[in-house]
Amino acid sequence: MLVIVVENVPPRLRGRLAVWLIEIRAGVYVGDLSAKVREMIWSQVEDGLEDGNAVMVWSTNTESGFDFMTLGKNRRLPVELDGLKLVSIFPLEDPDLSPSLSGRGPG
Amino acid sequence: MLPPLKPIAMKERVSMVFIEKGQIDVKDGAFVVIDETGIRTHIPVGSIACIMLEPGTRVSHHAAALAARAGTLLVWVGEAGVRLYAAGQPGGARSDRLLYQAKLALDDDARLKVVRKMYEIRFGEKPPERRSVEQLRGIEGARVRKLYQLLAKQAGVEWKGRNYDYTEWDNSDTANRCLSSATACLYGICEAAVLAAGYAPAIGFIHTGKPLSFVYDIADLFKFDEIVPHAFKIAAKNYPNPEREVRLMCRDVFRQSKILRKIIPTIEEVLAAGELEVPKPAEENIAPVIPNPESIGDVGHRS
Repeated sequence: MLVIVVENVPPRLRGRLAVWLIEIRAGVYVGDLSAKVREMIWSQVEDGLEDGNAVMVWSTNTESGFDFMTLGKNRRLPVELDGLKLVSIFPLEDPDLSPSLSGRGPG
Repeated sequence: MLPPLKPIAMKERVSMVFIEKGQIDVKDGAFVVIDETGIRTHIPVGSIACIMLEPGTRVSHHAAALAARAGTLLVWVGEAGVRLYAAGQPGGARSDRLLYQAKLALDDDARLKVVRKMYEIRFGEKPPERRSVEQLRGIEGARVRKLYQLLAKQAGVEWKGRNYDYTEWDNSDTANRCLSSATACLYGICEAAVLAAGYAPAIGFIHTGKPLSFVYDIADLFKFDEIVPHAFKIAAKNYPNPEREVRLMCRDVFRQSKILRKIIPTIEEVLAAGELEVPKPAEENIAPVIPNPESIGDVGHRS
């Protein structure tokens, strides 16, 4: 299982993602592809992202049963707590989403 | 309107999460940790077996109540993961299970059978016949000391025996520190499982006289397979932060061995070896006026 969610990205990238994945809601793409294809798609997201942001989640054999990674600026950043990956939400009024603020830093 | 929150079964959860610092509170019904800069991290409280709170955390009343409703054990641990205190019991402690456990522990014959079963699981063979619990404990002690030595040698760490002195934590050797951290993780999930299954952590069969005697009994069934060899391997590598490595290792080992699926069935298996029946309520007992709602949690979870 592979899910990619994009926000504020150019239509070009959204069209490209729709080549391999099903867009079940605006900006939410779902599919079931191999690790190699996942990496290929993610590198295309990286290339076509511009000012937007994206998150990709896929099932794998971590304790949670999935893993995820992010690109672009967002209030939500991944954090790792001794092997368990969670998400930290930065305050709204903070214009600079510098990860160094958290002390732990995003994983 | 949302239906009331109910616990999910232990086997469906991830093992644990350590929270180092921050204010633990409830925001919009979710369990969150907020640090001094206002960054908040959501903890999926209901899909974790136990939450280990380290020094530097504060828990609000609301958050403790949410953890209890989600059936998740909050465990207060010391700096290096050494156990201090625990509360926020997820278990509803069913009286039929408690009476069953107490009956087994009070009946010398049944208790011996349970103890023999525990040793059988630990060492992979039946213990010698016609020994008392006391004699079995002596045999076990000797075997465990040898096992520690053997596993330490295999991992290539120096081993001068198990040192439990938590007051001199910094003075104890790396191998002992790694072992203590790993056992703290194991005790946390075992306590969560014992409570979720409806049993009392204090009523032990081999261990006795401690608030967590039964937790130690159950943890011992997994300790040497699951964590000791790995803890020694980490000790041998001289990491700058061995405790963190131990936690990562525990998470990996717990995932691979699917320990959360195994603990409750193992508890039932060792208790069943006592060959007593789960007591039926006396006829004159009255059932609750408001019947228990159906739950997808374990039997001991409050529903």
